[in-house]
Amino acid sequence: MARSPKRRATLIAAIVCLQAVAAVFFIVDAVRDFRESGADLHLVIEFVIAVALVVGVILNGLELRELLADARRAEATIQAASGAMGELMQLRFREWSLTAAEADVALLALKGLTIEDIARLRQAAAGTVRAQLTRVYAKAGVNSRTALLSLFVDDLLAEPLHLAD
Amino acid sequence: MPGASSTARWDPLVRLTHWGIAAAVVANGLLSEEGSAVHVWIGYAAGALLAVRLLWGGVGTRSARFSSFPPSPRAAVRHIRDMAARTHVEHRSHNPLGALMVYALWAALAVVVASGIAMDQSGAVGRHAVAASERSTEDEELESEHAEAEHGDGEGSAAGEMIEEVHEIAANLLFLLAALHVAGVAFESRRVGGGLVGAMITGRRKPRSAGG
Repeated sequence: MARSPKRRATLIAAIVCLQAVAAVFFIVDAVRDFRESGADLHLVIEFVIAVALVVGVILNGLELRELLADARRAEATIQAASGAMGELMQLRFREWSLTAAEADVALLALKGLTIEDIARLRQAAAGTVRAQLTRVYAKAGVNSRTALLSLFVDDLLAEPLHLAD
Repeated sequence: MPGASSTARWDPLVRLTHWGIAAAVVANGLLSEEGSAVHVWIGYAAGALLAVRLLWGGVGTRSARFSSFPPSPRAAVRHIRDMAARTHVEHRSHNPLGALMVYALWAALAVVVASGIAMDQSGAVGRHAVAASERSTEDEELESEHAEAEHGDGEGSAAGEMIEEVHEIAANLLFLLAALHVAGVAFESRRVGGGLVGAMITGRRKPRSAGG
């Protein structure tokens, strides 16, 4: 399924609305037909379709509720994870006694910005940023950005997140 | 994690029913011929969407549920005081005044739909609607007048007329409420710094800027 949960939810919601409208149309039409010509095969078919549509509305509604609840849980997990990641970073930055500037650069580097981007953001020369980043690596005892990142990922994966839900 | 999770979000079913009903109300109020087949069917569609929304209010997502925006005059008064004091409290669903408006709109719409169904089922417009759907639109107007004349002096026309009266009054009330609703959204958008309309279109309300 390449479709994102959000688009799936919108699609199901649209189907629920259409089914509900269609169900009402069939029911109204069945009532009219019954008044005009009594019960016949045509009416039975209309009735069966109406029932099927109503059941569809209910099942799709439940499906939609599940889907939206899942999406909410996933979002809460990501929020908790990003919160935990942020806390962990602050903790480590203090442990390594990074200066404020080094901590900023480290954070931006971990977020995946290039040296040039970081330099532009901090209105500093690229050389300065590169030097700061090298000092960060030295203090953390690693020699690359990937290694720096893996320090945090390791910590976060060591045990499952405990979510307060 | 304050902030991000506390802003109101509307799920797709809330948004689709909202705009579907809005479109139906505009269509039947301004565009479709009163008592025409189109008018009747749009009315039934609006009723179906209202039913879906009300069911969803019982079992749906958190911000869609009635329990997230109970009708509370006291909370509404508090909200007015907040407005007067120029303080802003975030509500995860409708704000208390908005909640009262929602219930008022639903009630008016329910009366419009119910009285419409009563007229249709009693045959005031029903037979005409069926007939008209099989005819060209040119015949429709003639047919409409004919149907009204035919049923106007029939049996139980007093009750019929009363239902028609109820339908019209409730519809006018619905328009008045809808206008107030739009004005309220515009006012609240200015007060809290926008994002209300966007929230009903995309489902997300952007975090407010510090200026507010």
